[in-house]
This record gives sequence, C-alpha cells and structure tokens, in this order.
Amino acid sequence: MQYRHIQAIDGQGGVRGIAVDGGGELYAAGESEIRVFDAAGRLVRRWPTARPAQSVAVAGDGAVWAGQLGQIEIFDGAGRLVNTWRDDKLLRRVTAIGFTPDSVLAGDAFDRAIRRFDRTGRFLNNIGKDNPLEGLLIPNGVVDFGVDAQGTVYAANPGKHRVERYTPEGKLLGHIGRFDGIDPAGFTGCCNPTNVAIGDAIYTTEKAGPRVKAYDFAGSLLAVIASDLFDANCKNMSVAVDARGRVYVVDTVKAAILVFERVNV
Amino acid sequence: MSEDLTRRGLFATVARGTALAALAGGAAFLVKKANGQVVWQVDASRCVNSRLGEVGVEACNLCTTECVVALSAVRAVNEYSRCGRCNICPAYFNIASAVNELGQPSEKLCPRDAIARRPIGKVDPEDPANNFYEYLIDEEKCDGCGKCVMKCKEPLGLGSITLRVRYDRCVNCNRCSISRACPQDALMQVPVGQALEPAEVKRPG
Repeated sequence: MQYRHIQAIDGQGGVRGIAVDGGGELYAAGESEIRVFDAAGRLVRRWPTARPAQSVAVAGDGAVWAGQLGQIEIFDGAGRLVNTWRDDKLLRRVTAIGFTPDSVLAGDAFDRAIRRFDRTGRFLNNIGKDNPLEGLLIPNGVVDFGVDAQGTVYAANPGKHRVERYTPEGKLLGHIGRFDGIDPAGFTGCCNPTNVAIGDAIYTTEKAGPRVKAYDFAGSLLAVIASDLFDANCKNMSVAVDARGRVYVVDTVKAAILVFERVNV
Repeated sequence: MSEDLTRRGLFATVARGTALAALAGGAAFLVKKANGQVVWQVDASRCVNSRLGEVGVEACNLCTTECVVALSAVRAVNEYSRCGRCNICPAYFNIASAVNELGQPSEKLCPRDAIARRPIGKVDPEDPANNFYEYLIDEEKCDGCGKCVMKCKEPLGLGSITLRVRYDRCVNCNRCSISRACPQDALMQVPVGQALEPAEVKRPG
C-alpha cells in the first residue's frame, strides 16, 4: 500500500489536535480556539475556547467537543457553546476525546488514563488504568486513542511501544506493536507511537524521527505513509482519517496539517 | 558470583563513588563560594548536545578531548526528577542496534559502560515493558562524551541528562581549554553564587 502527500494546510497558529467530520471538514484545536477548514484547506470558521484547547472531536450529531485543562467544552457545528463538563479530578488535561455508541471517552494525560462517561457526563469507568503501572506509559505527556465502529478503544501506549485494544468497560483485549529501532514495522525511540487514529486501518504517528504509518488490525505494517516531510523536532503529532481514507497529520513545529491520499497501484 | 550479587555490587560501588564525589565536590564548591570565586559552567541551552532543535547530528565530545583534567572535569548528570525512567532509554541503549530475545536493543550506547539501570517499584518479570528503571551514571567511568546527552534530549527523550562541570574535578583554569575549543561558547564563567550547585542534582543512594 502506498500514499502520496497531496496537501499542506496552514494551521493558522499552533495545532495540538485535529478531527475530521463526516462531511470532510477538518477541525483543529490549538492555542485558545477551534479552527475549521474545508476540504480545500480554507479556513471557514473559528471560535474561541475558554481555555487552551488540547484536543478536539466531532460527534455523530455534529457537536464539536474541545478538551481543555479541567474541562470539556461542547459546541454546536457553528461554534455556539452548548455545554461544559467540568471536573478538576477526572479531566485534568484532556488530550483526546472519542465516542462509543453510548458513551464519551476522554484521555486525561495528567492521570495517564481514559475516562468513560455516559452521554449526560456521569463517570462510568477508567480505561488503561487497571494495570501494574496504574495507567498508560506516556513520557511524551499525551494520552491518545481511537475508537472503531463497534466501540473498541485503541489506545497508544508509547512507553510500551504498543497500541492496546480495550473494551469500553476497560478490559484489555490485546495489543499490536513492539519496539524495533531498525525494522519500520516496529516503534522506535523511548516512547512511540504517540498518537493513533482508527479508520479502515490503524494509523499511528511517532516522534524522533517523525513518521506516520498504517497497520492492519492484526498488527501487520501496511505502509509507512511519510517519514521525511515533517520537521525533525515534531512530537505528539495528532492524526485523523476521513471517510475517504485520507490521512491528516499535524506537523507541530510548522503548525501545518499534512494530508495524504492512498495511491492505487 | 550470581548476576544479582554482581549488580548489587555495581550499584553499591556507583553509590559509594558518587556519594564521595558529591561530598568532595560540595566541600570544594563551598570553599570557592566562601572565597567569592568564579567557576566554569556548561550552559545546557548552548551546548549542542543538549540544545533543543539540534537533532540528527553527531554528539560533540570536545569536553572529553579538550579538558586538561584526565577523563575531563565534565560529566553527564541525570536529573532524576525529569527522567522518564523508560524501559527503552535511548541514552542507555543503542536503539539502532538489533533487537534481542527480550525485545530490547542488544547494545548499550555508552562506550565506557558508565550507565547502569535498576528496576524500581514492583517488577514484572514476564513483561519488561511494565517496569520502570532508575538510570545511574557512574561518574568514575563517564568522560563527558555527550552521547547520552544527545540521545536524551527532546524530542527523543526528556532532556534529563546534561553535561555539568564537576567542581571536585575541575581545576578552575583561568581560561578553560574546553571553552576555548567550544564553537557554541557553551562553557562560561559564573560567580559561584550563580553556579548550578552540585547538590541540585540528586545522586543515587
């Protein structure tokens, strides 16, 4: 499988997290605002967040969820604030947000865990916490995960060089990935992959040297999508994939979002 | 001798050596402080081995080759409060070496084998990835070559290892020979009161 780089979108400022909605619009969280780009990479909307946005996700109903320090703000698609979930203990630093069919997941990097809430904001359970290390191993300081259509959670566990699969209730189902500093099928460095997205494959990003890869669900490497296009000092590069299989990756140093498309060969 | 005893002996030696060095260094430092002297210091934000943004370049070892003191007065120092205690530490392992049966790199990085590690907390013998490690630099072996510093800095690591002038070893030359050679002007003379105190860095005990 091969990919080609088709576009570089100017993030219009620092970008920490990205998400794509069903219509192909791209949402970027950074500094103290959410920015929305159309498929051509044009900035079409932007609105402020109460606190610096660490992450962003778009729910099936079009609501935009912005993870912050101590809270999540929920906006409608036009950027009007609909609700705020505040919790100084469970939402200390929300670096990822995702949805299962009946719950909301928030990655709390402060506590190295994924929190699961019902749709009203009632806490249900932790994910990635019930282990000897009492959390995900994230020396890089970011909890990131993706969710498939069935609700299975794929959490990056960079200190273990794995992507771990969990049930929404927090049961560990297995993992893909291993350390390897030579074979590109492995994850190198102290702590990779840092970020993950789920679509028709498992997409991961790594730091030092920065690269984005695709794996099948059994853990076999499908493609090194890119490795030489990013600034060498990039880390915690948020990744998203749209319904067409286009892969979006943040260059955190250049504050740009690079877009890749699969090539049929 | 069992491996455990050997390891225990190594850590005891490292601990004794560093404790003595810290004591001597601290005493010498206090004398200089009392006399209002200046000392040489490495500016980590200038040193190419620790300066952010410098990736993909060879480590600079001028602190090793230019110092008038045998083995150099500059040593790598691990600031434990910043260390990630990683299972695969790029400053400890040569992460570009082949993977062994434990799933770890088969080679160490330090050419003088000056870095040792020990698991901390509850140890999982089945899965090494579940363990945290404390990394200890044996300053009797370290010659300040900077390789581990280069591999520890962000984005690869957390930047907990830096090069420091050890005041129990530095003879405080009027014109430090490393400073003359350093293309980054990373060696600078500062009043003792502004110097990084030896006690700022926790030594393994």
